[in-house]
Amino acid sequence: MVRGLYDVAGGGAALTRRLDEICNEVSKAIDNGARIIVLSDRHSDAIQAPIPSLLLTSAVHHHLVREKTRTLVGLVVEAGDVREVHHVALLIGYGAAAVNPYLAMESVEDLARRGTLLADTSPEDAVANLIKSLGKGVLKVMSKMGVSTVASYTGAQIFEAIGLAQDVVDKYFTGTTSRLGGIGLDIMAEEVRRRHVRAYPPGGVAAAHRTLEVGGEYQWRREGEYHLFDPETVFRLQHSTRSGRYDVFKQYTGRVNEQSKRLMTLRGLFSFKEGARPPVPIEEVEPVESIVRRFSTGAMSYGSISREAHETLAIAMNRLGGKSNTGEGGEDTDRLYDPERRSAVKQVASGRFGVTSEYLTNADDIQIKMAQGAKPGEGGQLPGNKVWPWVATTRHSTPGVGLISPPPHHDIYSIEDLAQLIHDLKNANPRARIHVKLVAEVGVGTVAAGVSKAHSDVVLISGHDGGTGAAPLTSLKHAGGPWELGLAETQQTLLLNGLRDRIVVQTDGQLKTGRDVVIAALLGAEEFGFSTAPLVVSGCVMMRVCHLDTCPVGIATQNPELRKRYTGQADFVVNFFEYIAEEVREYLAELGFRSLDEAIGHAEMLDTNEAVDHWKAAGLDLSPLLHVPELADGASRHQVVVQDHGLEKALDNQLISLATDALENREPVRAQVEVRNVNRTVGTMLGHEITKRFGGEGLPDDTVDITLVGSAGQSFGAFVPRGVTLRLEGDANDYLAKGLSGGRVILRPDRSASFVAEENVVTGNVTAYGATGGELFIRGKAGERFCVRNSGVTAVVEGVGDHACEYMTGGAAVILGPTGRNIAAGMSGGVTYVLDLDPSLVNPGMVELEEITAEESERLRGIVTKHRDETGSAVAETLLADWDHTAGRFSKIMPRDFKRVLAAKAAAERDGRDVDEAIMEAAHG
Amino acid sequence: MADPRGFLKAGRQGAKARPVAERVKDWNEVYPDPGIGKTLLPIITKQAGRCMDCGIPFCHSGCPLGNLIPEWNDLVWRDDWHEASERLHATNNFPEFTGRLCPAPCEAACVVDIADDPVTIKNVEVAIIDKAFDEGWVAPQPPERLTDRTVAVIGSGPAGLAVAQQLTRAGHTVAVYERADRVGGLLRYGIPEFKMEKRHVDRRLDQMRAEGTIFRTGVEVGESLTGEELKSRYDAVVLAVGATAARDLPMPGRELDGVHQAMEYLPQANRVALGESVPGQITAEGKHVIIIGGGDTGADCLGTAHRQGAASVTQLEIMPEPPDSRADATPWPTYPVMLRTSSAHEEGGERVYSVSTQEFLGDDEGRVRALRLVEVRMGEKGFEPVEGTERELPAELVLFAMGFVGPERSPLLEQLAVELDGRGNIVRDDAYETSVPGVFAAGDAGRGQSLIVWAIAEGRACAAAVDRWLTGADRLPAPVAPTDRPLVV
Repeated sequence: MVRGLYDVAGGGAALTRRLDEICNEVSKAIDNGARIIVLSDRHSDAIQAPIPSLLLTSAVHHHLVREKTRTLVGLVVEAGDVREVHHVALLIGYGAAAVNPYLAMESVEDLARRGTLLADTSPEDAVANLIKSLGKGVLKVMSKMGVSTVASYTGAQIFEAIGLAQDVVDKYFTGTTSRLGGIGLDIMAEEVRRRHVRAYPPGGVAAAHRTLEVGGEYQWRREGEYHLFDPETVFRLQHSTRSGRYDVFKQYTGRVNEQSKRLMTLRGLFSFKEGARPPVPIEEVEPVESIVRRFSTGAMSYGSISREAHETLAIAMNRLGGKSNTGEGGEDTDRLYDPERRSAVKQVASGRFGVTSEYLTNADDIQIKMAQGAKPGEGGQLPGNKVWPWVATTRHSTPGVGLISPPPHHDIYSIEDLAQLIHDLKNANPRARIHVKLVAEVGVGTVAAGVSKAHSDVVLISGHDGGTGAAPLTSLKHAGGPWELGLAETQQTLLLNGLRDRIVVQTDGQLKTGRDVVIAALLGAEEFGFSTAPLVVSGCVMMRVCHLDTCPVGIATQNPELRKRYTGQADFVVNFFEYIAEEVREYLAELGFRSLDEAIGHAEMLDTNEAVDHWKAAGLDLSPLLHVPELADGASRHQVVVQDHGLEKALDNQLISLATDALENREPVRAQVEVRNVNRTVGTMLGHEITKRFGGEGLPDDTVDITLVGSAGQSFGAFVPRGVTLRLEGDANDYLAKGLSGGRVILRPDRSASFVAEENVVTGNVTAYGATGGELFIRGKAGERFCVRNSGVTAVVEGVGDHACEYMTGGAAVILGPTGRNIAAGMSGGVTYVLDLDPSLVNPGMVELEEITAEESERLRGIVTKHRDETGSAVAETLLADWDHTAGRFSKIMPRDFKRVLAAKAAAERDGRDVDEAIMEAAHG
Repeated sequence: MADPRGFLKAGRQGAKARPVAERVKDWNEVYPDPGIGKTLLPIITKQAGRCMDCGIPFCHSGCPLGNLIPEWNDLVWRDDWHEASERLHATNNFPEFTGRLCPAPCEAACVVDIADDPVTIKNVEVAIIDKAFDEGWVAPQPPERLTDRTVAVIGSGPAGLAVAQQLTRAGHTVAVYERADRVGGLLRYGIPEFKMEKRHVDRRLDQMRAEGTIFRTGVEVGESLTGEELKSRYDAVVLAVGATAARDLPMPGRELDGVHQAMEYLPQANRVALGESVPGQITAEGKHVIIIGGGDTGADCLGTAHRQGAASVTQLEIMPEPPDSRADATPWPTYPVMLRTSSAHEEGGERVYSVSTQEFLGDDEGRVRALRLVEVRMGEKGFEPVEGTERELPAELVLFAMGFVGPERSPLLEQLAVELDGRGNIVRDDAYETSVPGVFAAGDAGRGQSLIVWAIAEGRACAAAVDRWLTGADRLPAPVAPTDRPLVV
């Protein structure tokens, strides 16, 4: 047991001394045979204050690592300052084997005793709940970081420090990245002193009725933490854009910029080097109309926000020539073709909701969301009570059934996979720019370089402070880094590697003022995304109840009653962006730039020398952000050339010319071609041509019926629409029929193959991922993750690997052979039939097993018959030969939510009630 | 948080006042026995549950005190009244005053108000504090130790009382000087009993005395005790003398008998209501009464005149009639220009807008008998009379309720030689210190006429500044800076 206390009056020196002593005490204890060391901050008093537990833990941990005795002992941390998931994660990440948050435990006990918690929570329950939630929270953090076991997470130090001095890092947090320098032990001791003095006030008199501070971390409070959006900025922003008053808008930006300087953002610490270049008259600066084209609104899905709010943003951006973003929720057909209400940017995220050939074909930009600023490393969830019928339609899902966007894209496990998805999407719409959205963190520059090499047209560096009120609190506060850091790193890395000129760099993350935009431009961004601010303009008052469907201003809700309260208008949003652009012009003029293009990447125009007026800012060194690599002659600091996607080499060019009759006259086309595994993404560009001409309906089934012989490359048949049938005789790589959009894909082994099809894997992993419609018949087995996020395809296969049908929301999967484990994890819709199912392989979290009914037996017989006819399957032949007996060998995997909704629907139809209402009633419980 | 869907389930509901016919016959508060707090208990849980626990609680910002409104709404909803009282007192020394008298800028800023009617915040406040008193939770909070520092507070209105309570609790020895015979300032003699019964003031003063605050009434500082003496006797002096110089209307006939300032009239009525006798009392009994000024003081005169048995009461206002709901020029969450109907207005009387008084007309004995007015409209240089609209109204009692222009020019201010600004208010720095070291100013004396809630907020903030000046420590909360003003467009 080692006391983590120090003489608070002695300040940083005493703290340093005591840490050294503690390290010695621990070393001695180990010499004396101690194998568990408890670091405790109990028994602090008016003289002795607790050492911050993380500093204490990490100091001891690294001391022991240096002494090579670390593995001899376990560290147990007993600390009063531990209360949040993040605190526990940090302690474990810096070496703690066990954590005792005694004060938090005593606090919840007290709350339970006083009855402030739920009425029937006993003190024991409260403590158990606290421990359980801290534990689950740490698991969630670990999963975000891709770590499976606590043993691997302990001491893993996967954190970035912002604002910690290098000597402190070297001694106590050895190996941690801290790019900007910052505070030392003196300042930490001062922070401790300020807390300590509240517990032991001078003169022994504490203020009456003032027990604990209000905090205000997550909700604004006057005496609490600063927030850029406070009552005044929200009011001034709304009022200025609604009444068309630029003067009030300047009051708003003035206050935000001033707040920013109170150390709320890194950009708040910069100043412009005015006079470094001669100012230019403002009339010579590019006009508002050209600046607003660089603006976009953030990816917020229809579903998470209301139709009214979503369309307001789209209409405004279309008027301005900027771009709005669908978010991960698809887009209704009536908006897809409406030049006023469409969203120019179509997002493709892990859930692939509504990602069809039609959706992609109608995009200006296609954005691949690798991560989200508000909650990097996490997926999303639309709770069932927000999945109203109209939302479900757009997402190709079932009303009232919750939807999960998984954390990863199931088709991306490496940068090569990402390159493949970029290529797939480019094929799905060759005119669209492909974006990749990344979150700022250490190493994002390297990833961005990879993204540039992977032929992405745009890379988006998203700041950590994304605004959704639906994000978990640990993510809101502690995940990701500021865009200033990520953007600077990206710009520098791209320049150094000669990759900058071929990719557009976009940034977002609480951009609020013209000053923010200009700083982003100087750091290297050429396009700018805004989310929270335009929502505030539309009426958002930062309730932070986006997940509850109770948004009182009709934005983050689908409830028709609440949506009536919506007051936003596209004109207000137009005003906002024009005002921002006007401010940008003013700054450009002062700085001596005639256009944003001229300004991009001129980080040397930013200054950090201005004394930062805050007691904690003294040690910061922002100069790494402002470094501009030496540029070769003629090297550009922004994008000047377009990426070479290599589409001219695609097999589809041949397919398209073969399909001329179909494309021009809707006439049937039959052809046979050879395919090799260098032919990636076959059929997708052809599909795009059909969708472009004939819309989402496509052509009648089998209009273009092409047989391909050979070994296909990745993404065979991706996003193929109705009217196209691809018959592959041979085998396929990964991502077969990815995003299938109504077309038919039939795979059978080569006719001359001597092996038994059903005993062999004929296609790779992630088959039919995110498919929305059509048919897929595979004679033979598929790899892992078959039909993940299927929402409409009927797929037949003769065996699968692990994780089949994960997160499925619709369609049907028929598996006529052995399966791997974890079937139907997170499955909320559709149905899966498995022959001779081993029930222990099913993930029972959201589904149950059922016998098939006679009606279903007939349906299934039809599907199996088709499978036999299309593929010549021997398995199907055998089953059909004795169907009355073999039908009983099928098990049906049915999602519980889906079943409940179907029951509600059936009951409503029977009683003649409104089906939608009945469904939502069931969903709201 | 409170019920996340509470605002969807329940509408706004206030306390039900006694019938007009009954309440105008007495001076008691307009709510039934045993007072507004208890009257509210059956409905207040649901009303508190309408609070949305906003990410940005604009109410908490709209309140100069920074009242922790979402917190205590939640606590009331959860039936934890004791903790609610603690949280209420964390920012407000005198919720029983504000819960009755404050015009509730918090409610004007309530997010529910955007599309619905705001939460009855003021009612929740008064329900908490009345219950806290009933339960005996409002106990004296004497300091554990005394400092050896002394402070004189001049004026015992809400600002002075707040300064005194905060500094006493911080361990300083505080004496409050009041020129009137009883403590309370405007609270005592300006506010009619039907708006707040004086027992509420007395109850709070009992607590303050028990905490150690010393009160000296009937002392006109500047006369019996000079500014110099004050400075030499005390380590710090706080001027909380209010802005009691009333705006006058020097029209012909101003000198007539029966033309009075509201603050001549209301204190007398208050004394009588509390059982004193006032020889030569100005009374509305049997008279046609005209009140000039459409604000709260005017409404206080109105309710008082009705209770005295006036023949008729007319309230004149130079501004046009405000809209029934929030005017466009005062968007949410600012304090709105709109028609307000106080309990006094419910009791009768007529309100006449867009008129300006031209002359007071007297009878042969020098008593006012009528008032001549003219309709006005807004012109380029302010209000302009509309020709041909002059008319006379019978008036046997005319009361001025047109606001206050600043602190009275008293000998005390001259003796202390504190600097005044162009409006006659006492100049302070960021720390409430006047131009004279060790002399501070709080409340309307420095700010100009304002609301009770600003007075308490200033008192608390000034106390923090004085405490820091005396001890160098940062212990007390300071909700507002001297320059803070309500949010406006």
